[in-house]
Amino acid sequence: MMSLLIVLFGVTAAYAVYIAALCARRRQTPVFEAEGLPAWTFIFGSAGLVVAGLGLDAHLALAARYGLQASHLAVGLVLVALTGVLVVKRVVLAARLTGIASPGALLGGYYGSVTLRIAVMVLAALYALPFSAAALAGVGDLVSAATAGALPRAGVIAVVAVFLFLPSVLGGWRAIVYVAAGQSLIVLVLLAFLAVAVSTDLGVPLFGAAIPTAGGILADRIPGVFQASAGIGKGAAIGGIWTTTGILSSALALAGIVLSPAYLLLAIGTRARTAVAFSQTWVTGGIAAGLLVVGTPILAAALATAEGGGPAVAMAGLADRLAAYEPLLGVGLILLVVGVVQIGIALFAGAAARIFAHEAVALYVLPRLSPAGERLATRISLAVVFALLAAMAVFAPLPSAILASLALPLSIQLLPALLGLCFLPWLSRSAVLAGLVVGCLMVFFTEPPGLILFDGLFVELPWGRWPLTVHSAAWGLAFNLAATLLAAIFTRGGAEQDHRDRLHDAFRAAYPADLGSGAARGAKWSLVLLWSFLALGPGAILGNTFFSDPIFAGGPAQVGLPSLWVWQVLFWFVGVFLIWWLAYHGRMAVIEPGPARRVSYETGPPSAFQRRAPLWIERTLARVARR
Amino acid sequence: MSARPEDDPLDRHALVVAVWLAGGFVAATLLSIGLERGSFVVTLAAFGAALAAFIGHVIVNEVFQTGFTPRELGLGLVGAVAGLVAIGLGGLVSPEFRATGFLPASLGLIGLAAAVIVYMLIRHGVRGAFDAFDVIRDFRR
Repeated sequence: MMSLLIVLFGVTAAYAVYIAALCARRRQTPVFEAEGLPAWTFIFGSAGLVVAGLGLDAHLALAARYGLQASHLAVGLVLVALTGVLVVKRVVLAARLTGIASPGALLGGYYGSVTLRIAVMVLAALYALPFSAAALAGVGDLVSAATAGALPRAGVIAVVAVFLFLPSVLGGWRAIVYVAAGQSLIVLVLLAFLAVAVSTDLGVPLFGAAIPTAGGILADRIPGVFQASAGIGKGAAIGGIWTTTGILSSALALAGIVLSPAYLLLAIGTRARTAVAFSQTWVTGGIAAGLLVVGTPILAAALATAEGGGPAVAMAGLADRLAAYEPLLGVGLILLVVGVVQIGIALFAGAAARIFAHEAVALYVLPRLSPAGERLATRISLAVVFALLAAMAVFAPLPSAILASLALPLSIQLLPALLGLCFLPWLSRSAVLAGLVVGCLMVFFTEPPGLILFDGLFVELPWGRWPLTVHSAAWGLAFNLAATLLAAIFTRGGAEQDHRDRLHDAFRAAYPADLGSGAARGAKWSLVLLWSFLALGPGAILGNTFFSDPIFAGGPAQVGLPSLWVWQVLFWFVGVFLIWWLAYHGRMAVIEPGPARRVSYETGPPSAFQRRAPLWIERTLARVARR
Repeated sequence: MSARPEDDPLDRHALVVAVWLAGGFVAATLLSIGLERGSFVVTLAAFGAALAAFIGHVIVNEVFQTGFTPRELGLGLVGAVAGLVAIGLGGLVSPEFRATGFLPASLGLIGLAAAVIVYMLIRHGVRGAFDAFDVIRDFRR
């Protein structure tokens, strides 16, 4: 299997370098420009990025351990697509109206805040370094285990990093996006093919496979609406940790990938008008979610029976079993897992390098940098990012994994800021920043980095990771929204709101939103809430027995499938219909052609907002000073 | 966002290569399983995967409002001839292949050829499709 694996890795690497070389040959096009990308790159690339954010190997390992309660998270891809429908169109239009093609500069310019720009940069760095390094370390473990150590872990990590770096530095952002989108298409095809192949070859049922889990874990049920557990590491949840609130809050965290700098950069650069709607409805919410809902139990059932100590060894064991049947199938499984990781790393690292070179180097460090100089800065940034992430993957996989846990939940903390940019001009800079700080603190103290730091330095906290089986993303977002709304009450109006209103006036003039009458608007929001409640939230508990022991039948029904799996498929179908209705019928993701560069926001340090201490601090100081 | 006409061939080419990589891998795996185990259905399914990749290629052409490039046509013809030779040789030298693989492989190749003819008929019409192969008329000019 090893030689076949090397050959097929060589083919995918050759594809990447070939496309990058073609991009580099077009010298009239600046290689690091992010605009004018074809629709298909966003259609497939965004779906691939969402699967990379989920972490296919981690998702399969969790499903193999916890059963259908963990694979229920696949339905969360519909929530991810709904988040995309909500914000991506307006972000793209805002970029078009302001002429700002970078998410950090867009938020910074709109709110007049350098802090937000730095927050986006930090987020980009979190995805590019620890998140990517943890994923790359997993690739090293998997390939090393699959080849019984013949290919050493460090060598695999170095080779994969080099073959991701080469196309990036040769062909720039354009090549990165082409290759990642192409790989996303390959990954989706492989996922479908391997699910069917595993089902056929290893005798796992194609629909609703039973996942053999350890004793005490409910394999085909959700273990409650929520549990009064102190959190992972401090208390045990009975029957498993994936309660309905756990699933909903994890889906919220996954939706953070839509607000990640790489995803937004990808969206802003797409030129076709229906790419966003098509991508969210049919590829992310449709194909990717459907494949995971149906395919995860099959692969997880096979994975659960594979012998092995850790997830990488178990996955390698499954690849070995498939290779015994047909070597290409075993290699295909490894290519699938590695391909998903490569998509994420390429896009996260490329976006971080581009954002850093554009927003930090070209604006602050070397303000008079020529376009050629900016390209060089981006290439140097790429080299630094790839060198760092490879070093972290080889030498610090555990710290990387600990820090990586922050990326998704911190991403979703940008939701109020983006909602302000897209729809709510009354959300002020202070409100958004206050919410962001509170939300980030909540995330930090309900994830391993904060817990380890606080426990080590001060006193042991009474809660662990995800207390009450609620993901840190939801804890952070709840406090974030509360703080944002509270601060917004006191900071409405003034010159700052006039500054923000310019964009919303331009939205109204150039791209009037037609969300329908009051009843239609109400239906849109209430149906989304109702779907979320039943598909992912507390209502999903009904799925445990709804089809196997229906209340209206007076006894158990012989469905032949786990009731929860049928519930997942049903709400995936309904979710796709809901996305379609909002994206196409509601025109929430169809981007109309229209004017550009109507609004001018500063992309450098804001001069419109003079640096001054908050009024309450000024007054308090004045009082103290007078005494 | 600005569209650059000079990027269109690259946009299309990157997608076409991805489509054939995905379809090609599935087809190769199925063909290997089918021939190894002598399965009629799986061998035929391998050609089905190649057909799916071809249909994907046609869809990409339609989206980009273009046809097959001369290089793609050349590569396709070389592939078809290589397939034909491989099936012929396999049938001659390997009794095992003759017994289990020859029929599905031949049917698959015929199916692919039929798909190409149907595509040409739909795209160019009967006269246009015939004209493409009308070598004698070229000599008359």
